[in-house]
Amino acid sequence: MNDYIVEMRHITKRFPGIIANNDVSIGIRKGEVYALLGENGAGKSTLMSMLFGMYEPDGGEILVKGKPVAFHSSTDAAACGIGMVHQHFKLVEPFTIAENIVLGTEPEEKKLGILPWVNIRKANRQISELSRTYGLEVNPTDRITDVPVSVRQRVEILKMLYRSAEIMIFDEPTAVLTPQEIDFLLKIIDNLRNGGKTIILITHKIAEIKRIADRCAILRQGRLIDVCDVAETSVQELADLMVGRQVQFTQEKTAPDFREPVLEVQHLTVKNEHRFDVVKDVSFSIRGGEIFAIAGVSGNGQGEIADAVAGLAKAASGRVLLNGKDITGLSVRDRCLAGLSYIPEDRQETGVIPDMTLQENLALREYYKPPFSRKGILHGEAFRSYADKLIGTYDIRCAQGPDTVLRSMSGGNQQKAIIGREIEEQSALIIFVQPTRGLDIGAIENIHRQILRERERGAAILLISLELEEIMALADTIGVLYRGELLKTEAAEKMSTQEVGRYMMGVRKA
Amino acid sequence: MKKKKLFLPRLLTRRYASLGVSVLAVLLMFATAGILLLTIGRNPLDALRSFLQGCGIIAKEKYGGGSGQLTDLMDFLNFLAPMILASLAFITAFKAGLFNIGISGQMLLSGFAATVLVGYNKGLSVYLAKPAVLLTGLLVGGLTGILVGYLKFRFNIHEVVSTIMINYIISYLTGFLINSNYVDMMTRNSKICSPEAGLTLTNVMIGGMKCKIPLALIAAILAALLVSFLFRKTVLGLEIKAVGQSRRCSEYTGIRVSRTILISMGLSGAIAGLAGVAYYLGYTNSIVPKSLPGIGYDSISVALLGNSAPIGSIFAALVVSVFQQGANYMSSSVGVAKEIASLITGILLLFAACGNYMKYRAERKMQQAADSLPVSGNPPAAGGRAAKGAEKP
Amino acid sequence: MNKVFTDGLSFALPLLIMAIGTLYSEKSGVTNLAVEGFQGVGAFFGALAATLMTPLTGAGSQAIIYLAILCAAAGGAVFSCIHGLLCIRFRANQVISGVVINILSVALTAFFTSAANSAISGSASNKFVLDVSARFSVPFLCEIPWIGGLFTAMYPFEIIIAVLAAVMWYLMNRTKFGMRLKACGENPQAVDAAGASVTRIRWAAVIISGALSGIGGICFAYSLLGNFSPSIYQGFGYLAIAAMIFGNWKIGPTTLACLFFGLAKSGGLQLCIAAQLPSKYTDLFLLLPYVLTLLLLIFFSKKNRPPKAAGEPWDKSKR
Repeated sequence: MNDYIVEMRHITKRFPGIIANNDVSIGIRKGEVYALLGENGAGKSTLMSMLFGMYEPDGGEILVKGKPVAFHSSTDAAACGIGMVHQHFKLVEPFTIAENIVLGTEPEEKKLGILPWVNIRKANRQISELSRTYGLEVNPTDRITDVPVSVRQRVEILKMLYRSAEIMIFDEPTAVLTPQEIDFLLKIIDNLRNGGKTIILITHKIAEIKRIADRCAILRQGRLIDVCDVAETSVQELADLMVGRQVQFTQEKTAPDFREPVLEVQHLTVKNEHRFDVVKDVSFSIRGGEIFAIAGVSGNGQGEIADAVAGLAKAASGRVLLNGKDITGLSVRDRCLAGLSYIPEDRQETGVIPDMTLQENLALREYYKPPFSRKGILHGEAFRSYADKLIGTYDIRCAQGPDTVLRSMSGGNQQKAIIGREIEEQSALIIFVQPTRGLDIGAIENIHRQILRERERGAAILLISLELEEIMALADTIGVLYRGELLKTEAAEKMSTQEVGRYMMGVRKA
Repeated sequence: MKKKKLFLPRLLTRRYASLGVSVLAVLLMFATAGILLLTIGRNPLDALRSFLQGCGIIAKEKYGGGSGQLTDLMDFLNFLAPMILASLAFITAFKAGLFNIGISGQMLLSGFAATVLVGYNKGLSVYLAKPAVLLTGLLVGGLTGILVGYLKFRFNIHEVVSTIMINYIISYLTGFLINSNYVDMMTRNSKICSPEAGLTLTNVMIGGMKCKIPLALIAAILAALLVSFLFRKTVLGLEIKAVGQSRRCSEYTGIRVSRTILISMGLSGAIAGLAGVAYYLGYTNSIVPKSLPGIGYDSISVALLGNSAPIGSIFAALVVSVFQQGANYMSSSVGVAKEIASLITGILLLFAACGNYMKYRAERKMQQAADSLPVSGNPPAAGGRAAKGAEKP
Repeated sequence: MNKVFTDGLSFALPLLIMAIGTLYSEKSGVTNLAVEGFQGVGAFFGALAATLMTPLTGAGSQAIIYLAILCAAAGGAVFSCIHGLLCIRFRANQVISGVVINILSVALTAFFTSAANSAISGSASNKFVLDVSARFSVPFLCEIPWIGGLFTAMYPFEIIIAVLAAVMWYLMNRTKFGMRLKACGENPQAVDAAGASVTRIRWAAVIISGALSGIGGICFAYSLLGNFSPSIYQGFGYLAIAAMIFGNWKIGPTTLACLFFGLAKSGGLQLCIAAQLPSKYTDLFLLLPYVLTLLLLIFFSKKNRPPKAAGEPWDKSKR
């Protein structure tokens, strides 16, 4: 007999071509915070998706409160008191908060005894009460479109509470939050634990585990490596277990060698499709050999700044200068020719054409120039030899060489292809937006090394990232963006993580 | 045993995958049409034979004076020319991610313009009239296409909706103009256009058989080669394909998306215009007012069946045209309503539209077969589908 | 003047019910260009039922009309399963599927109309002739100055459609089903995570859209044509889609758009008659709705916000 509220025994799950979970067994006690630690792709989310009924395991069994269960959908899991906050929130944007929370378990009543209708007012009241009880203040009638990320996350937590879940799974809950918001969230998780809830925390951030978790299971390549008591294990030990080798936490960064200003952004304002200012009067400049990092919570105008500099979004006012030349009115292509490279945030949507081959994708910046084409006629040989060269230089793994269809490559290798293509241009300015999102530690290290190498070459680098750690590790200068305004610009060594975090939340004076 | 089971999946995933899908669609179509004919008490093989006989591909039992198998075959080729052109028009827009459902309208308008401007202009010599017809078709069709492209990127109007509206506008407008100015009181159609302007030479005697010589077929084959070249070998073709597959990435790369949309819609319209003159000044020689040519819609089946490959569409056009052109003879000899031709085309279209799903299922099957092999210690090397799965969960 | 309102309404309401059909499908995340085909096939089944039943009830029986409407709804619903199969089950491109269905429906009805006619009467006519529907005027309301025409010489189906439209509005905006359906078109993952079946909701939406379009089709056959023939395919389905776009995927504004189309069409025709133009000019006035649609689309398309997930096949294994 044991006191496990959830037990997963010998779980195996295959996806086409890969074993996501290989004979994993874990047991979770009632009322504890149980962390699942592992790199991207280690199989943490898959394992929990099975507990939440979104996948069915190919082998093994799941026990909840001692009884074997077979979940076919998340409804089954919810019926057993299991709830989950997904990494990508599952919210309907034009709906109100209350509508989102009740979706699936709507309070349906019968008007005049026959006409079914959803009593949304009643739901509003219930949710207000619930949110006060747990310190998760929200206004049930606000629409999701109008509320920030941290509130959206509260809505997800309220969804679980509304369904009176006892076992709560959090999938990378801190990835999108500022340090202060993370503190708040961890406090709430602590409250929930004290209220008798069982918490499962999926994360790759060891610091959070040390702060909140009781026990921690470590997964690597789909296998369970170890389960340890968090209090008795050091950060370094956890890290080594997670990666399977010695981890270097910081990159070697050479002393700065700043040159002439390369990019100057003056009073830039960008409007979105609703004619709303998403970037307001932003000015900064980047010198050659300098990494200028923009920190900020997701959706505060970072993407728009990058797009406006690269020419994908129109500047409503202000100027962008590259090497002293005004490029505000230039087309995307002319800006590239003037010395601009751009690694966009959305790899699949923007960075590549997934259904084209690797060689075509690698030549996207060059195809219209000789030797790739002459007088509008393409030369296949040039594409192939260029691709061969880049595949070698940037270690791009591809099954069929230059003819590999991009869609079939892994995210990490797609990113290698994009970065290779952009760096190969030897541009004066390189924009990196979220360059390491969703990649494992090895790939992240590799990309950080490349960014630093470009800095040494003398390129100006605009780095936009949601990962504060990444910014602190790489930046020479940090600008903090809040609601489209650059609140603070300061040399990196003069700012602490906490300070940056405060500006990210819109506090003007640190 | 296992090998045999995987034959079909293999056919659909390997190098000739698209051909496999097309062949499968045609086979399924034959099966469905066969069942349909059996249920109404007709022999499907008889029907198929008479379809082929109607097109002069196999000989009929007897022929009238002055005509023969060659006569039918040339008639068939005369029909094939606009069909190929129309499907090329669809392909050209489709590669840019646009559905040109307005090919019928573009055909009608350019056919009408060429008929009125050139076909009724008696003074022109053969050498002037025929190029003028082609040019009118290209221009009028191209401009109509450009209009659709403009509405698309400037005002965000879905091209399917706008082309359908324009189809009806063209249909009523040309109908009105024909009825008020150019109607032949006997046939209720527009007056026949002059032989100088016609793209088909009529009443040519070959081996004692009266034949038509469709000059437009040469244009159609040339166009297929050109379109094929465009998409395989040129910067413009690459850009059109890029826009069709990822508009966002195309913008990011610096391709002028709106210009590319205009060009591809313009080209599509221009080729549809060629199809229009080939149809109205070659195949029919007059215009039925307020009636859109069915070829415009059949071309969609052809393009999908040919997996939107320009050369492939020539063969797909052969298949579809057999049913359209052979329908009359089949109807009279087997006694099934000739509307079944369109029905068969529709069924073919239905299966062709499922092509991607077939391919997807086949890939899944292959993958499962690969997975069920004993797994060695290491996961498959990075790259391939394996690593994609690894990154996703 | 009264005639403008009378005819306008009898055109607008079938258009409206088709637009609501499309709207249901699109709100659930299935792009639906197939209404044109749905309404044609629906009308075919309705007209077939009417033709088959007439010898039993005798000509002129009004009950047949209601039967025809029922059969049209059923026929449209059954036929819409092809769209569901292609879009939901086979994850085909939804625009292609719509176009395919429209082409298929024309061929299908043409073939089976002549097949059915030769089986019934021996002549392979491409038409089913329908009885004339009785019309009525609402007492008192029809005497209101200016807008009295709206309540004059009404078809019974207009009442049915108006009631149905109200029910569909209620279903969409006040019930559990409607809420989930809208969520499916915005973020299917949210619906899945909430424990409802996206697939099932989308199927329901597509079938509803088929049934409603079928009703629209048979009403057109009765009011506009007086028969079922290939001329049922006049692009009314596309007009309905356009009306839905003007209505920004909301039932209320869509109703206004449909009324506008109806009045514009009947107004144009009455103008033509009033001006005593020769009959060939009617072609020019028949153009009017299509030209108006294009013009209106130019003004309205840019600002619109279609359902976010419309056009994307739902794949549970992809997240």
